[in-house]
Amino acid sequence: MTTLFNILITFIWVFILYALWDAAFSETGAIAGYSWDEMRTYILLAYGINALVGWRVASQMMGTIRTGEITRELTRPLNYRSTQLAAAAGMSVVEGLISLVLILVLGTLLFDVQPPDSPVAAALFAVALLAGFVIKALCIFLISLLCFWTLNSVGLMWAQQAVISVLSGTLIPLAMMPGALRVVAEVLPLRGIVSTPLQIYLGKAQGWDLAGLLALQFGWLAVLWFFSDWAWRKAFNAVEIQGG
Amino acid sequence: MTWSMNLSRLRGNARLYAKLQLIQLRTVVEYRADFWIGILGASLMHGAGLVFIVALFGQIDELGGWSAWEVAVLYGLTLIPAGLRELFADGPWLLRSLVNSGEFDRLLVRPVSPAMQVATRLASIHGVGQLSLGLTLLILGTTRSGMDWTLWKAIFLLVSVLSSLGLLIAIGFLVNMIGFWEPSAQSAIPTAYAMLIDFAKFPLDIYSNVIKVLVTVVAPYAFISYFPALVLLDKETPWRWLGFASPLVTLLAVLLTSWLWRKALNRYQGVGH
Repeated sequence: MTTLFNILITFIWVFILYALWDAAFSETGAIAGYSWDEMRTYILLAYGINALVGWRVASQMMGTIRTGEITRELTRPLNYRSTQLAAAAGMSVVEGLISLVLILVLGTLLFDVQPPDSPVAAALFAVALLAGFVIKALCIFLISLLCFWTLNSVGLMWAQQAVISVLSGTLIPLAMMPGALRVVAEVLPLRGIVSTPLQIYLGKAQGWDLAGLLALQFGWLAVLWFFSDWAWRKAFNAVEIQGG
Repeated sequence: MTWSMNLSRLRGNARLYAKLQLIQLRTVVEYRADFWIGILGASLMHGAGLVFIVALFGQIDELGGWSAWEVAVLYGLTLIPAGLRELFADGPWLLRSLVNSGEFDRLLVRPVSPAMQVATRLASIHGVGQLSLGLTLLILGTTRSGMDWTLWKAIFLLVSVLSSLGLLIAIGFLVNMIGFWEPSAQSAIPTAYAMLIDFAKFPLDIYSNVIKVLVTVVAPYAFISYFPALVLLDKETPWRWLGFASPLVTLLAVLLTSWLWRKALNRYQGVGH
């Protein structure tokens, strides 16, 4: 019930964005290459996707370190980064199902969402979505390591949510961002969470563009995968555990 | 009771309030890193909304008849009272856990009103970020949109910001008092209700009728930004007069809250009975 509500809360912005873009598109037919049909689909799906690996996963990861419970994790003969990732995946199954149902209900009743551009686009969308999920979980994992130095996990949570919602393209598609911000967002890995999967879904990226997007996404995935493990060992050696 | 007695009691309460909140603010500043991370997190959260507006108005000129700077006024009018509330009365958000854990018992045996003790239970310094961002937007928005400043508009602005603050504090109590009836401290209803304030950051004209009713009647956040802005910016709409009704809405909310608060105190039985 709480999870359902937490997801619903993030959907408040879906209604705000819907109204805003509805008003904006009443004056022109297309904005930055997006039609109103595509934009509607983008808004709803972006929020649905970004609801995965939500507040609960992040607070769990941070809480493990903050409360010192991490000592128990360390006695296990497993890679800490991988166990946290697996736990995130487990929790996201519930969040994922709930947001999927919400998308289906809202999508058919109110938003009139478009289907994927083609069967190939649908398949590649699923691949990119999965990669995006791992990227987001790894980024949150990296941020949670900061809890070794600070107790203010709420501040970290806000910062993390804000940065991801902008740079992933959840709040606004990358194509509509002002110059400098757009360049930054296009290079960073966060676009892989929402923007890349949705560009594929809508058929905005074809041929070499599409290959380039996927290559960038998987390149970042590999970098984050190894970096997170290294950073975790560094962080662990650098500081002491709370209460010890 | 005579007037002077009432007045001196009010003064005493105000002094106590200031003292208690000062202590709360000091405890936050004590932990440097935590303090800055809190400020950073809150600024980024509100900055994200701003980035969105800049990007949106990079693509369009007008939103439902409102220019970018006029929307900035709405944004400012929403952020200012919200920041003030975080700074000076964030305590009600701890109410549910106080009731849930039974710690509320302790508040009842002290010789200070429980409502004040709850209100001063928490002062969130990161409200500063919201407040300064709101002030910047309001000043930029009013000057750039070519609004004519008059003395009575300045007074109107001051009154409506104060009444907005009152409304938000009342709502803070109201939604968190659910803890007296619904023992689960986890309920997300208060958060959801509080988040509806985001609708007030944009002109009401763009929303469907359901949302218009929602933010005017059910969660009257439109009285914080949209209706006062109609008066400030001299917008020609039949709803303009509602801008003057803001203090009345606050009064109603405060009366409702204090009535329910008394009911809640009578109902409270501690934990384990």
